[in-house]
Amino acid sequence: MAFSTRVPAMSEQIATAGGMAAAPFARWLGWISQRSTLVTGLVISGLILFIGFAAPFLYHVDPYAIHPAHALEAPSWAFPFGTDELGRDELALLLSGGFATLVVALPAAILAFVVGVTYGLASGLAPAWVDRLMMRLLDAVLALPSLIILIFFASLVTLNNTSLILLLGFISWPGLARLVRNETLAQRGRDFVLAAEQMGAGRVYVARVHLLRVMAPVLVVNGTFMVGDSVFALSALSFLGLGVQPPQVSWGSLLESALDIIALDPWWLILPPGLLVFGSLLAASLTGQGLLQRWGNNR
Amino acid sequence: MSAVLDIKNLSVSLPRGGRNVAILDGLNLTVKAGEMLALVGESGSGKTIASLSVMGLLPKKAKREGEIWLGETNLLTLQEPAMRRVRGRDVGMVFQNPLAALNPSRTVASQIQEAWLVHKGGSTRAARARALELLGEVGIPDPAKRLDDYPHQFSGGMRQRVMIAMALACSPKLLIADEPTTGLDPLIARQIMALIARLRRELDMGVLFVTHDLSVVEEHADAVHVLYAGKSVEWGAAKAFFDHPRHPYSEALLGSVARVGQARLQNIPGNLPEPETRPPGCRFAPRCAYHQPQCDAAYPPALRDGGTAAACLFPLPLTDRITYAETLEKPTGRNFASQLEVRDLQVRYAGNSGWFGGKTKLPPSLSEIAFSLGRGECLGVVGESGSGKSTLGRAVLQMIPYEGHVLLNGEDFSPLRGAAKRTQRRRIQVVFQDPRESMNPRIKIGDIIAEPLRLKRGISRAEERRQVETLLGRVGLNKEMAALLPGGVSGGQAQRIAIARALAAEPELIVLDEPTSSLDVSTQAMLLNLLKDLALEQALSYILISHDFAVVSYMADRIAVLNAGRIVEMNDTAKLIRAPQHSYTAALIGAAPQLHRL
Repeated sequence: MAFSTRVPAMSEQIATAGGMAAAPFARWLGWISQRSTLVTGLVISGLILFIGFAAPFLYHVDPYAIHPAHALEAPSWAFPFGTDELGRDELALLLSGGFATLVVALPAAILAFVVGVTYGLASGLAPAWVDRLMMRLLDAVLALPSLIILIFFASLVTLNNTSLILLLGFISWPGLARLVRNETLAQRGRDFVLAAEQMGAGRVYVARVHLLRVMAPVLVVNGTFMVGDSVFALSALSFLGLGVQPPQVSWGSLLESALDIIALDPWWLILPPGLLVFGSLLAASLTGQGLLQRWGNNR
Repeated sequence: MSAVLDIKNLSVSLPRGGRNVAILDGLNLTVKAGEMLALVGESGSGKTIASLSVMGLLPKKAKREGEIWLGETNLLTLQEPAMRRVRGRDVGMVFQNPLAALNPSRTVASQIQEAWLVHKGGSTRAARARALELLGEVGIPDPAKRLDDYPHQFSGGMRQRVMIAMALACSPKLLIADEPTTGLDPLIARQIMALIARLRRELDMGVLFVTHDLSVVEEHADAVHVLYAGKSVEWGAAKAFFDHPRHPYSEALLGSVARVGQARLQNIPGNLPEPETRPPGCRFAPRCAYHQPQCDAAYPPALRDGGTAAACLFPLPLTDRITYAETLEKPTGRNFASQLEVRDLQVRYAGNSGWFGGKTKLPPSLSEIAFSLGRGECLGVVGESGSGKSTLGRAVLQMIPYEGHVLLNGEDFSPLRGAAKRTQRRRIQVVFQDPRESMNPRIKIGDIIAEPLRLKRGISRAEERRQVETLLGRVGLNKEMAALLPGGVSGGQAQRIAIARALAAEPELIVLDEPTSSLDVSTQAMLLNLLKDLALEQALSYILISHDFAVVSYMADRIAVLNAGRIVEMNDTAKLIRAPQHSYTAALIGAAPQLHRL
């Protein structure tokens, strides 16, 4: 009806922009409160990234230096996050583990994203029989429980950063691929795609210029979720001893080694890595949700 | 006759961009028992806001002032619970899209009964008897058998009849019909109009008929009330209005309705002003052909020296009726050099294919289609929805697989592959019904128009820019528009942009698939005139697909009538109108607005 179909006129947009200058602080507060989910998500994301990438340059303590005299000490001035059973500085370990986690999880998420989007677009734009074949293949991958497959392959290959990135990347693309493929099917029959084809556009052009642009919100939101999932999956692998290999630590392996001595109640060894994994997942989820709220209705 | 609905000085404002913006301004109108009043206006005129105000269905933030008397009750003083009792009992409503308004998972009987049970109570059996009676009344054949059918089992026109039956369940005093025939095929739309007109007399019920299309109400309305930019411009008895419209806007609106046999549609230059930028004086003044300096001072008072009242300082004289130049003498049998040839075309959509590849065979959507089209010629294709007319366009455009042959400049499409096919396809362009749907909402207008240029390659950015500006100028838009996104322009402008994009591909033939049916009447007139001028300028050929016979007859040199996938009749426009050979053609012509019905 009249309200929903009306398109805001230019004059109206200009009027709004003018009003914004009048009370910048109040407007800014309003902007924040309307986007609290997104803002919270971005703040936590920023924090996690800071911990992973910037902090090692600010906190110069060797994570692998052993202080037997101070083994398993609770937080103090000397060791702000306490020490582990070997007397290593837990804060230094967390920071180093953070870098080790992100340096694998982020490229893995990007790899999965690129593979998923490409596979989905290709399948959706391919002739029907190719599409069907590609989707059955996808079903097969999806049908296998991903963690078990991960463990299986992780036990076969030498584990280093590259192999971990490939492993994690190739295990998490199918979900996005299916989403992109379905979205492609829904969009490729739209009039603007037909019009482009009439002008001589090929499949690659349609995918690049039209489909990627209309799908941008879906892609960004799901890409964000993938980063969180990737951190979580790597931590789970490390927890099982199959992720980042010793002596390098990661959040997952820190959690695992702390659990070995849980009888001694080392809360300072369990809580921080757990919270960081949880925080990564939360940050990705909140950012994605926030973006969805902003973009969800405007397609 | 007593007044059923009496609206006094109704104003509605909505908060927009931090301010309260008046959408509707001092509306006064009366609907008497047994009378049909047509509330006419283009989109943005405030007509839907007016009808929603009566039903109390405006968003909560909307502010209403004035009085709305329904019999002895002022509806504006009622709280929501009391209003809910009025809705459906005293006021019935029929909307545009019956499929969206009906619950797909419940039988029509249960939905018609609902209104009765909610307001009158009593037994389900009595309510069911009432539902049966109503279905018969709205002209559903064999109503007893159809009571337990679901909405999807009815056709579009029948669904609208079911909606009307629902609205009538409690014998309301007032029926509000908001564009009830928009989106229906013309033959069906006429039947629905006739049904509403008959029911209002039989039930002595007032009807507020909200529409953007004057031609729909011409036959049945008793009174007309025209809104423009939130203000009443002319109102009064329908006969007087159609004989001698006094307000220049009414005249322009009547002149822009395509009628069978019309020479030139009247353009209304410019756009409807946004609520924030409405001029202080007469709101139509900036677009008015008779504009005088006095018009800009204040909103003109209503002048009542004729059959209607018009808010205009310089109303049109009562002496002459509006005249439309006729073109039934259009030069026919022009010799066109052959450009497109379609031979023995057949299209058959595959049914659901199962897991094991078994495809169900469906009856063909098109069969035995053959015609040729000359350079610079416009072929009109008319037919109801489902007749296959859009399929025909898509086959010519090579968008769908077909059997048979389509030849452009003597070259058959079917053996062509790859680049050769793409080059050949480019020569045929398309303009779709919904201009917004035909543009990627995230791409700027300048880039949209440049798309065909880019796909052709080998054009510098500066040359591309220059061409885009030229194209914008040719469709009557200014070049600043290139920087906007499609969401920021009106429907008529968007359709011009779609035409500019089609022209950028330098086509020889453009398939126009219902190019104006999503647009307001005055916008439609402008667009049709533009297409006509473009065709003359550069010997463009068109295949114009439309369900609107008047639009097709205005544009086309020749008309093909499509029914159930076959061409039942094809002839020069003038000959076809004068002497239709097929009964179906005659019915289509009868349903279209005519020059001489006035």
